[in-house]
Amino acid sequence: MAEINQGVRETVNSQATHAFTHTLSRAAISALTPIAAVLVALAFGAALLSLNGFNGSDVVTVMVFGSFQDMRSVGEILLKATPLILIGAGLCVAFRCSIWNIGAEGQLYVGAIAATLVGTSIDGLSVWVHAPLVMLAGALAGAAWAGIAGYLKVRFQASEIVTTIMLNYIALILTSYLVTGPMRDASAAYPQSARLVREAWTPRLVTDLRLHIGILVALVLAVGLYIFLRRSSRGFALRVVGLNPHAARYAGMNVARNVMIAICISGAMAGLAGAFEVAGVTRRLYQNISPGYGFEGIAVALLAGNNPLAAILSGGLFATLRSGSEVLQITSQVPQVLVLVIQGIVILSVVAFAKLRDVLRIVA
Amino acid sequence: MITEISRRLLLASTLGMALTGMLRLDVAHAEDFKMGLLVPGSVSEEGWNRIGYNALKGVEEQLGAKISYVELQQNPASFEKAFRDYASQGYKVILGHGFEFQDAARDVALDYPDTYFLISSSAIHEGNVIGLNTDTSQPFYLMGVIAAKMGGKAGLVGGMEIPPIQQAFTGFKNGAKSINPDFPISEAYIGNFTDTTAAKEAALSMISQGADFVVPNASGATVGGYQAIAESGPDVRSFSIFSDFTEVAPNNILGLYVADYAQGVVEVVRAIKDGHPPAANVVFGLKDPKVISFTFRDDGPVTVPQDIRAEVKAISDKIAAGEIKTGAE
Amino acid sequence: MDDMMLLTFLATLVGAAWRLATPLIFASIGEVFSERAGVLNIGLEGTMLVGAFCGFAAASATGNIPLGLLAGVAGGMLFGLVFAFFTITIKADQIVVGAALNLLGMGLTAFLFRTYYVSTGKGIDIAQPVHIPWLSDLPFLGEAFFRQNLIVYSTILAAILATLVLYRTSFGLTLRAVGEHPKAVDVAGRSVPGYRYAAVLVGTGFAGLGGAFLTLGHSNQFVEGMTSGRGFIALAVVVFARWSPIGAFFVSLLFGLFYALQLMLQAQASIVVPYQVLQALPYIMTIITLVVFRGKGAAPSKLGQPYEMR
Repeated sequence: MAEINQGVRETVNSQATHAFTHTLSRAAISALTPIAAVLVALAFGAALLSLNGFNGSDVVTVMVFGSFQDMRSVGEILLKATPLILIGAGLCVAFRCSIWNIGAEGQLYVGAIAATLVGTSIDGLSVWVHAPLVMLAGALAGAAWAGIAGYLKVRFQASEIVTTIMLNYIALILTSYLVTGPMRDASAAYPQSARLVREAWTPRLVTDLRLHIGILVALVLAVGLYIFLRRSSRGFALRVVGLNPHAARYAGMNVARNVMIAICISGAMAGLAGAFEVAGVTRRLYQNISPGYGFEGIAVALLAGNNPLAAILSGGLFATLRSGSEVLQITSQVPQVLVLVIQGIVILSVVAFAKLRDVLRIVA
Repeated sequence: MITEISRRLLLASTLGMALTGMLRLDVAHAEDFKMGLLVPGSVSEEGWNRIGYNALKGVEEQLGAKISYVELQQNPASFEKAFRDYASQGYKVILGHGFEFQDAARDVALDYPDTYFLISSSAIHEGNVIGLNTDTSQPFYLMGVIAAKMGGKAGLVGGMEIPPIQQAFTGFKNGAKSINPDFPISEAYIGNFTDTTAAKEAALSMISQGADFVVPNASGATVGGYQAIAESGPDVRSFSIFSDFTEVAPNNILGLYVADYAQGVVEVVRAIKDGHPPAANVVFGLKDPKVISFTFRDDGPVTVPQDIRAEVKAISDKIAAGEIKTGAE
Repeated sequence: MDDMMLLTFLATLVGAAWRLATPLIFASIGEVFSERAGVLNIGLEGTMLVGAFCGFAAASATGNIPLGLLAGVAGGMLFGLVFAFFTITIKADQIVVGAALNLLGMGLTAFLFRTYYVSTGKGIDIAQPVHIPWLSDLPFLGEAFFRQNLIVYSTILAAILATLVLYRTSFGLTLRAVGEHPKAVDVAGRSVPGYRYAAVLVGTGFAGLGGAFLTLGHSNQFVEGMTSGRGFIALAVVVFARWSPIGAFFVSLLFGLFYALQLMLQAQASIVVPYQVLQALPYIMTIITLVVFRGKGAAPSKLGQPYEMR
């Protein structure tokens, strides 16, 4: 028993027990993997374009750099990065605990619904109270929605992969019902909710840009989750449960509680992302509030190697690619869906390079 | 030392690539007349988005404009950015193809007073934001009249419950009720614009429940509805809407409603280019034969009898003259 | 509704349910094979899209539907080969690779369709319903059961064949053992990775066939994202069906029934329940089933785990 605990501890904290230089070289290799993966994906994208009669180098010149034109376009990239970083960092925690939460999209929608309810039904609060209240509502709703899947897993051993996918659909249908039914703004032609009252809006970072303080919240929370996972005993417990739940149970850890905490954290982050989308960007709830941020967040977490700190970078990269794909369509009429292909290849390359790294390490 | 150099090289090449990226955007000369298009879905499918694309191509061919479009998948958060991207690159006219673009255009228009923002399916007119609307309730009213004259029960298959679809269906119902107030009409929405399978099954189920005049209106998924009609035999009648679907259901389609929205847009853009922007929002209807064509087929197995055609013509003239309101709830 | 109307309604409902269930039946039976061998493939949605696109492309080039179906199956299996290579040979996480393949399938099919088919509004000729003498002309029953095309009928064959293979052949026996006790299979001298490859290829071939049905057996066109989530629903079907091919057949029918019912009830002006409630029902039922049937004939014990040879 003690041996198992010891073994787990060693695996988890191996970096701390090894020599400093070794850690450094490992960190370098770890950083190289995602970079190499991105390069492979871009090369694949370029090849795909060239083979189909487009200009292959556009992938780099336009998709990666094309969207950096002025302050406003950088602001727009950060605006897109906000939900991706939030969701990606949150999913890092769940994935570290081996919880396959595929339901961030649904959790985002439920967060957006809750934020809209709080943002439209209350009036007369100060912005210092109302705006945070909206964020809190989104986070709580997202956590609760994810908590359903968590509860079903720990209580009934129901696979969270299936339940979170089902909860995605239910959340989307619920949103559709609400904006065409009870929450519909009767005066508007388009199915949409009423506008959030001004005090509920997420304050903007710069008056002229749409960028709001959500990006700062996302950065702070990503760093916070990194520290939580690395430095707190709870974070340690989550990782142990993720590596080996049986060992964790032998070591006296409450597996069910850790699973619940991990999945609720990821749900809260997605719900918060949903709250920012309505309170910071659209000001209203729509049927299509997310272009798939919840699914993209999965890729963000994977590219980051389930490290919340690295999710900042991978979230930023995916936002850049998404913005760039819009520019690419405007300039060269390349179908925007190219970005999905590149994301898919990024994930596969990360997997392949990680394997290659293990093989090389064994050989060496 | 070496690493320092390679680092600088990397940095320089990165910057170089970034610059080429920016330059590429500015290749088009400033004096070019440029028009941009925002569509809420894919232009690769027959339907609403293709119509917007055709309008853009029309402007390119007839007015020699530089054109560009972007597909936004109905995500409202991205609308404002797309408008700004075009406006900041010197585009003179930007067509937001759908009423959902209206709010975003209003916000951006304040910062770009020299750019014209045209919005499809909208009745707005605020400075440089101009709504263009094809009143689809008018041709659908005529279809309703024909349905009530020639059929026993009508079925309408819609994509999502949004205004352009509802407006068309309201016109259909008004037209049918004007002939027979008790004419039965059933209506169903598939909840998206991509699931052709669902559109087909919705139409099939209506037909099995007695509908003999069915009109699908679901953008990309519309074709599924016509397939259901074609498979149900020549006793089910339909009208081809927006595009020519006679190839899909040759034995069922009585006629075609084709809106050459493109031509309407071209005329509006021509006026803007010549310095005479419209003074009010633009509504295309049966009064604009260049834009709306409502024709009957003579080569099908079933045709609309001459007396009904004459009657429809009379009603059409009244609508064009504004004597019949087709879109009232 | 009077009795006649009700009978017509029910007959149409059953007929529509079977057609709507067909892609789910194929995809879920395939996934049963995969999961029984311990491989969870959440990339079904992308795989089905590849099948739908390849089927459409082949049929529109040759005008031959069987060839199109074959291309759909081949496209699915090719995608499956990528999945198998990453999950079995490289032993990467199955969820991760599945998620990547969904993105890839969606992106690649949409990219290629837009690049090569943008201007072709015309569709292809699809498989026609077969007229069975006497049976097809039966009142109500004919409409409900005997006016489908061969692809729809073949779902019965697929369910029976899959059951026979899985429970009555040594291949099926070994395949199931791979999902439960891979070590025993290994010790017995059979290749665990080999069986897993086979299971994945069977699974993705079926998923490709399910996708190809959409373009060749139902709609005559490819539309981006036309699977509309059916690949994910097939995953739920497998769990709901407790990993049995016959179960997958009937659970798919149940899902098809709800889908058809939802469309048909909307057309009835007298029904006041919001149609979204009916839309959500299959998903809620899946969750309830997971809770109610927990433990009985549960999941393959090695589901989702790579096998490490010792």
